[in-house]
Amino acid sequence: MTVSSSGVEPTGFLYPFIEAEERDSGPLLVDLATSAREKIAASVQLKTDTLELRAAEIESAAGAMADRFARGGRLYAFGNGGSATDADSVVARFRRPPSGVALAAASLVEDRAILTALGNDVGFELIFARQLIAHARPDDIALGISTSGGSANVLAGFAEAARRGLLTVGVSGYAGGAMAASGDVAHCIVVRSDSVHRIQEAQDAVLRALWAGVQAHLAGPPR
Amino acid sequence: MCPALPDQVIEVRDAGPVASGPLDFDGTALLDGAGELATAALALARRFAAGGTMWCLAPGAPHHGRHIAVEFVHPVIMGKRSLPAMAVEESNDPVASVRLLVRPGDILVVVGDADDAELGRLLRRGDSWGLLTILLAGGSPPQADLADHVVRVGAIDDGGALLAYHLLWELTHVVFEHPGLLVGPEPVCRDDVCITCSDEGRVVEVVSTLEDATAVVLADGRRESVDTSVVDEVKAGDLLLVHAGLALALIDEPG
Repeated sequence: MTVSSSGVEPTGFLYPFIEAEERDSGPLLVDLATSAREKIAASVQLKTDTLELRAAEIESAAGAMADRFARGGRLYAFGNGGSATDADSVVARFRRPPSGVALAAASLVEDRAILTALGNDVGFELIFARQLIAHARPDDIALGISTSGGSANVLAGFAEAARRGLLTVGVSGYAGGAMAASGDVAHCIVVRSDSVHRIQEAQDAVLRALWAGVQAHLAGPPR
Repeated sequence: MCPALPDQVIEVRDAGPVASGPLDFDGTALLDGAGELATAALALARRFAAGGTMWCLAPGAPHHGRHIAVEFVHPVIMGKRSLPAMAVEESNDPVASVRLLVRPGDILVVVGDADDAELGRLLRRGDSWGLLTILLAGGSPPQADLADHVVRVGAIDDGGALLAYHLLWELTHVVFEHPGLLVGPEPVCRDDVCITCSDEGRVVEVVSTLEDATAVVLADGRRESVDTSVVDEVKAGDLLLVHAGLALALIDEPG
C-alpha cells in the first residue's frame, strides 16, 4: 500500500491555470471521491495487515491484561489529542462492553479539572504520571496510546507505571518511536505506516482486538 | 521491553480467536458513501470559507465529537489551517443546546444511530436554523433526507465513523486548494420564492406564537412570521411545514 507522507495529495497542479477562476466543481468532486475510495482501501488494508502482523503481540498483551483483570486490577488509558479520544473509547468498551464481561477501566484524560490543574501546576509532561502516582496499584494496567510513539507525557506515564509494577501496554505508530525502544513498555504494538490518520484508524482496530482478546481469555478455558 | 520490530510477517502462534479474526469494519459501507463524502467536504469547505463554525455531536459515543473537533482545530499536518470546530457534549437536551449555540451558516456534524429520535429532532431543525447538516450514520439505514449529507459508517464504534471524519477532514483541506470553488452556488431561500424547495414548502421551527393566529418562526436562520390559522395549536419548538407564509401542517415528531 502507499500512503503519502503528507496524508493529503494536493491536486492543484492538475488545474494550473484556472485555480482562482475555477467554477465547475465536477472534476474536483470526482477526484475527491476517488481519493476517498483509495484512502478507505488503504485504511482497511493497513488494519488487516496490522492485526495479522501483530497477532502474536496482541494475543500476548491481551493474555497478560486478562491476568491483571482476574487479579482485580484496573485499566488506566491515556494519550493526547485523537489518541485521548481513543483512550476514552477503549475505556468505554471495557466498562460497557457490547458483549462479555464489564471490566474496571478509567481514562486519565476524562477529568478536565485534574488535567488543567496538573498541566498548570506541574507541567503537561506529568499529567499522566501524576495521576498514576495517585491511583496505581501493582495489579493494574497502564495502556498508553501515541501515533508517533514519542509523546513525552505518555512516556513519563509508562515510566511511573513500570516503577509501580503495573502491566504496561503501548500502542504506537510509524516505526514505533521512543515507546517501542522503552524498557518501561512490556507490550508495544506498533502500526507501521507514515500516515497519521491511517495509523490512528489501525490503532483503533488494535485497541478493539486487545479488548476482544481480553474477553476471550476471561471467557475461555484456562490456557 | 518491546521486541524488535521485524518487517517480515511474524508467525502466528496461539493467537486469540478475535485478534486475528476478520475486521468488524471492512469498508464496504463507506465505499458506497465516497461520493457523498466528496460533496459533503465541498459544502463544508464553503461554509468554513464563509465563516461558519462546525458543531460536533455524538451523544452515544461523545469521544467522536471531541475527536472531530480536535482534528479540525489542531490539524496533524503542519501548514493546514485551523478551522473552528467544537464538540457539544449534551446528552440531556441536545436540541436546546445546539439551538442556543449555532448561527446561520454554521455546520452540524452528527455521529449516531439514524433511528435515534433525539438526533432526528436535531437534524430536522437544521434547515430552519440555517445549518449545513452532515450525519455519519450507524445502525439501520437512515432516511436519505434526514440531513443534507448522510454517510453510513456501520456500527458507531467499529472504525467506520473514525475513518469517515478523517476523510472529511482530508477532503475539506483538498477543497481549500481550489479557491475558485470555495464560493459556492449554494441555493438559498428568499422571501416567498424558494429556489431549493419551489412549491414543496419548508420546514421551520416556531420561536413564539402571537395572538392573531400567527407565529414567529426561524427559516434558514432568519425570523419570519407565518399564518398558523389552518393548523392546530402550535407552541415554541414545534416544526411547521410552511409555504408562501402559510403554515400548511404541524410536523408530528416521535419521542
